[in-house]
Amino acid sequence: MTRAEARPGDLTISRQQQGYIARFTAMACECELLMDLDDETLAHDLAGIVHNEARRIEHKFSRYRSDNLIAQINHSRGKPVSIDPETAALLRFADNLYQLSDGSFDITSGLLRQAWVFDGSDRLPRQAQITPLMERIGWSKVKWSETAITLPDGMEIDLGGIGKEYAVDQCLALIMQSTAAPVLVNLGGDLSCNGPTQPEKTWLVGVQSRSHSRLPDALKLKAGALATSGDMHRFLHRHGRRYSHILDPRTGWPVEDAPVSVTVAAPTCVQAGSLATLAMLQGRQAESWLEEMGAEYWVEHHSSGD
Amino acid sequence: MPSSILLPPSKFPLRGCPKSLVGRGLLLAAMIMVLPACSNLGVEPWERDLLARPAMEIRGDSLDSAFDDHIYFSKEASSGGAGFSGGGCGCN
Amino acid sequence: MQLDKKQLLALATASLLGSAPAHGENTQGEALNRQDDNAQAATSKWRMETGLLYYDEKERVTAVEPVFAASKTWADGSRLSFKAVLDSLTGASHNGASVADTPQTFSGPSGKSSYTVPAGEVPLDDTFKDTRGAFSVQWSGVPEDGRTWSAGGNVSAEYDFKSLTVNGGFSQEFNKKNTTLNLGVSVERDWINPVGDSPEPLSLYSDQLKAAASEDKIVTDLMVGVTQVINRSTIMQFNLGYSRASGYLTDPYKVVSVLGLAGQPLDYLYENRPDSRSKMTVYWQARHHLEEDIVDVSYRYLSDDWGIRSHTLDFHYRWQAENFYIQPHLRFYRQSAADFYRVNLDVAPLTPGGPLVIDPATLPAEVSADYRLADLDTRTVGVKFGMTLAEETELSFRLEYYQQSGDTKPADLDATIFQVGYSFWF
Repeated sequence: MTRAEARPGDLTISRQQQGYIARFTAMACECELLMDLDDETLAHDLAGIVHNEARRIEHKFSRYRSDNLIAQINHSRGKPVSIDPETAALLRFADNLYQLSDGSFDITSGLLRQAWVFDGSDRLPRQAQITPLMERIGWSKVKWSETAITLPDGMEIDLGGIGKEYAVDQCLALIMQSTAAPVLVNLGGDLSCNGPTQPEKTWLVGVQSRSHSRLPDALKLKAGALATSGDMHRFLHRHGRRYSHILDPRTGWPVEDAPVSVTVAAPTCVQAGSLATLAMLQGRQAESWLEEMGAEYWVEHHSSGD
Repeated sequence: MPSSILLPPSKFPLRGCPKSLVGRGLLLAAMIMVLPACSNLGVEPWERDLLARPAMEIRGDSLDSAFDDHIYFSKEASSGGAGFSGGGCGCN
Repeated sequence: MQLDKKQLLALATASLLGSAPAHGENTQGEALNRQDDNAQAATSKWRMETGLLYYDEKERVTAVEPVFAASKTWADGSRLSFKAVLDSLTGASHNGASVADTPQTFSGPSGKSSYTVPAGEVPLDDTFKDTRGAFSVQWSGVPEDGRTWSAGGNVSAEYDFKSLTVNGGFSQEFNKKNTTLNLGVSVERDWINPVGDSPEPLSLYSDQLKAAASEDKIVTDLMVGVTQVINRSTIMQFNLGYSRASGYLTDPYKVVSVLGLAGQPLDYLYENRPDSRSKMTVYWQARHHLEEDIVDVSYRYLSDDWGIRSHTLDFHYRWQAENFYIQPHLRFYRQSAADFYRVNLDVAPLTPGGPLVIDPATLPAEVSADYRLADLDTRTVGVKFGMTLAEETELSFRLEYYQQSGDTKPADLDATIFQVGYSFWF
């Protein structure tokens, strides 16, 4: 992931054929809010709410900042750090995913990026670079409670894996406190929407994929969320073997035979994102795992051409 | 806030070593068998990456084993041990 | 517990977001422009394994055995598998008689054909060719709380032998799935219809006395075992087995040579084995994952009430490359003879200087000259080559060399084993 800008871009609102679109940049991606309503004042208010909430969450949990709670935790040198209920809820969710994925989803595994640089080249790290990092990885080594977290010295946590989906759900929840109008919140491809007032109206979501993939070109959504996990642009290639950027924190190496992308539809963005991420970590078992979870999904695999 | 949701704990904690079998010659064998069950050997669920590989299945290569079992059953006086061979033939 | 996982995730999500999903229970997503109607992968697939075995003892038995197996595991963890085998045997096998300095003549089991064995050669009976077909089914149920039940059956038929087996099993996981207790029982019923009827045990070959047109036997097997994960890269199994066979355990085609004072064959007696056999096995196996490769070693000890004791040591090393593997294999086997095994029987005159008579009182109640019940040492050395083609399809070749040796010439045997295997998803 390229280094995020310190401040999100400007907020723009434009009138569409039906409703309004607000656009801004946050969390290192293009964000938009689609609103199916006529009230211009309301549109501006909602845009402001979403913009602020996205910025707030980014500010609080981004690992690129040096002045937020995450930075404090990651530089705590083994001392306990007090946390608020929202952070505790996110840590508890990360813990649940860690258990559910048998340890393959681990928010302490970000350190592996020091060994793995996914620039499309054939430069793989040596085991000697990976092994010392593995000692500083492992969610089971972290002590945490509803009020504090103690991270062993040398370890770090990164909530990037669930932060964006959480922001989407929080934004939509805030909007729905103000209006029942149909809106769709899209933060860089992870999106959620609420129900259209007229049954025959649906949201049309365009999906970017390679031409020969089996993904549909567009999805119709009535209500609910969509999240995608993928490696289309971030990989290494060596000896005819593609190393996806989905790293298995238990081994320090990429998950074998990870799909190119997994897209999941679910009632909430957090749920969709969790299913997509956990499915990627299953490697070649992605589809059967999603099948067992009863998810609605689309999985894109590598073709022999890559 | 609801409490943390984790996978249900195992319903069968090992209370003691399984007692078994009769026979003088079997006593030593029984003790060896009991040993792994009593000590806390094993791995956490997230450490099963290698063990999950098909090549690590303890009864893998089933076609080879089946062929071999049949050959050695008809050429030698011994059979069985690892599992049931699944049926008779007139070769011994 | 896949359903639990789904609920757990939904609950975890609800807990994070503070309430149940406010905006709609169902997503009702619908795809436009789907190029492929089944974008979701089919998990209802069968794993097919096909193989062909070629077994060749120089100058003795040759066997060709095609095998076809299919298995499927459902999402709830239950599993069904089938297997069909065809076994075609040609060639000659030792008829029990010992090697003599003079030519020996025997008639085939049906009494019609006869064969002569040159002096100094192992008497081999090549008068029958046989084809066997077998089919088996195995089912294991939905695992519940780490508990799985299983059952299966097998039928096998050849010209002179038919067999029906049923088995049942139970396994229980403990200790975060690190320990598994396995229990199994199987019962086999065989119907034996020897060609030319079963001979009267211990009767003279020259008399050709018949006992019955059909015989039978029952074999019951019990097994208890433990599979234990030792560490991240090692797993072991330890089994104890008990087997009891009762009924007709004799080989109806095998004889024992009766030698005169000068060592020349005077006649032959049809062999007779006990009508029951109890055996006990102890088995241990360990499989260990190195950096890339896998090593497997196993040992089996067998002891039965026929006096046979055997040791089997098996060793595999899997040298793993990216898309293929090479697996050398070594096997060592040693057995001690059955109490009633004799190379041949000697006869003494009833009275000094008198005629040679076979006195039934001096004969053992059970006797067999089948070299497979003698002291035996065998070695197997082989290598397997397997390669992964597209989509978890595997092609493999196995070449092994089997060598057997004992105290007598019939027990010295060489065989070549060649096997091709092909497995794929369907």
